[in-house]
Amino acid sequence: MTMPARALASSRAPFVLVAIVLLFVLLASTGVAFGSTWIPLSQVWDVLLGAEIRGKTVIILQFRLPRVVIAALAGGGFAVAGYLLQRVTRNDLASPGILGVVDGAALAVVCFLAALSNESNALVTSIAYQPVAAAAGSILAIFVVFAFAGSQAASAIRLLLFGTAVAAVLKSLTVIAMLVGPVYQAGQAARWIAGAVNEINWNEIRITAMGMLPLMLIVLIVARKLPPADLDETSARSVGLNLPTFRVHIFVLAAAITALSAAFVGGVGFIGLMAPHLARRLIGRTVHLGLVGSFFIGASMLVGADLIVRLLFSPTEVPAGTVPAVIGAPYFLYLLMRNQRHD
Amino acid sequence: MTEATTEATATRNAVISIEELSLDYGKVNVLHSLSLTIPRGKITVLAGANGCGKSTLLRAIRRLHKPSGGRIFLEELNIHGLGEKALARKIGLLAQSPSAPEDMTVQELVRLGRYPHQTLLQPWSAGDTEAIEQAMAGTGVGDLRDRRLGSLSGGQLQRAWIAMVLAQETDIICLDEPVNHLDLAHQLECLELVHRLKEQFGRTVVLVLHDLNLAARYGDTLVFLRGGKIVATGAPADLVTEELVADVFGVQARIITDPVHGRPLCIPLRLSERQSS
Repeated sequence: MTMPARALASSRAPFVLVAIVLLFVLLASTGVAFGSTWIPLSQVWDVLLGAEIRGKTVIILQFRLPRVVIAALAGGGFAVAGYLLQRVTRNDLASPGILGVVDGAALAVVCFLAALSNESNALVTSIAYQPVAAAAGSILAIFVVFAFAGSQAASAIRLLLFGTAVAAVLKSLTVIAMLVGPVYQAGQAARWIAGAVNEINWNEIRITAMGMLPLMLIVLIVARKLPPADLDETSARSVGLNLPTFRVHIFVLAAAITALSAAFVGGVGFIGLMAPHLARRLIGRTVHLGLVGSFFIGASMLVGADLIVRLLFSPTEVPAGTVPAVIGAPYFLYLLMRNQRHD
Repeated sequence: MTEATTEATATRNAVISIEELSLDYGKVNVLHSLSLTIPRGKITVLAGANGCGKSTLLRAIRRLHKPSGGRIFLEELNIHGLGEKALARKIGLLAQSPSAPEDMTVQELVRLGRYPHQTLLQPWSAGDTEAIEQAMAGTGVGDLRDRRLGSLSGGQLQRAWIAMVLAQETDIICLDEPVNHLDLAHQLECLELVHRLKEQFGRTVVLVLHDLNLAARYGDTLVFLRGGKIVATGAPADLVTEELVADVFGVQARIITDPVHGRPLCIPLRLSERQSS
């Protein structure tokens, strides 16, 4: 008897995961090595492991590494949020970008920047509040979408329609906020909306990491509740999972992760759609492996995207978020057409 | 035996006692002040015409609906005081049209039956493995364990779902119209399996069936409902009469004794055969 395809997929899952992590490490070190001057990978490793190389240590630690680290954290965050949303809605098309979560964060951050900056373009409050503003916007957005979708939230197409509609409204509100808000903030806000990882400093990374760590721990703890969430509401309830309540918890969690990922990097669409989908194709249904896989695929995507824009457009800084958008749109259309056939 | 001791025996044998249960969907009253005891280790069939409230009653027993009045006791415990997982360790329910992703395997589905027994610190134990192996063997899906649900036939799929409920190791198993979409052979196969749940695994089974003859053949106790009220309860042989069938289903029928199983068999009359009364 031939080995069933399923068993094959789950037995090779750990190897696939290792390959994904190795790919990430390679992309991340290349991301640090590449710049106005190429720093050999061996020197990159030495510096990361604590060695002092004249002229290189400062470049690596202060200029190159921050953008790679934030790209990894944010890309991974978007991917995990997408994995949670896809799993709990049983819907391949669910993702933070498509459900309006990113746009909710964008609107909140633009309002935050506009309201709390002075003429010299400096924030009058702590930058640590920017993720808080983003989180509030995200959570509000996802609840508006699900409030509209109501009992139809399990239908791929309905959820998508409501999400797209809410996202469109939020986008236009964001544009209005940028137009009527103080002009000196428009440039900063526009860069943020496209999703850029340059000009990130260690303080912002520290804020992101300090938020991301507990959130990811919570994800790993609640992950064991995800398998019964694959069932319909009655069957899930029958094995002891109150699915409607659990969904709400996951929505809040996913929105918070999205907001934190977007807080300094901005709205990077499509990673939250593509990375978890790829992870499920490569790794299968196993929850914990799938989550870790999603994180590293998402991290590789944004680190890779940043590398691509630097390779193509350097020295002009093009927001890294443009790359996933260019690749993600056709991928999304492909998923949509495939889903249509299933319906 | 005196009447008092009979009653005491009935209470001891009752695994579920329902006291004056009422239930509304919005403003529509579905169950009216309904009382019932469900005997331990037997198959109880809830039967009646469409819309009589039999599925709602089953779902209320599993606390899937919130009653507007009355109480349901599981042995001595009020089910409304139990936690979600604690209740899931006592009562399992197979929904009328359950759904799971098509790329899920049979074994992955059956494993979900162990969810209420798992905790954060003990995600999977040897007992869990034993339970799913027993459940798959008992329902004959062991050979299908690596098959995706999307590739199964209707009968195989139903057995996989029953295996999930069986793996839950609950004393009580509720099944909502388990043979609805199955052909004759698979209907029999499925109900024989339900019978084995009682005989071999010692479970108390509560079943919703709309087919009166299947209900009479497999049920130890029948509960007839009409308009959200219980019309009659008892053993099939005592209960299934021409008057009651007319009353519950609105159909004139002849009742004979099934020559094979000795259970009552209902033969609905055609319009032309009906006597005007």
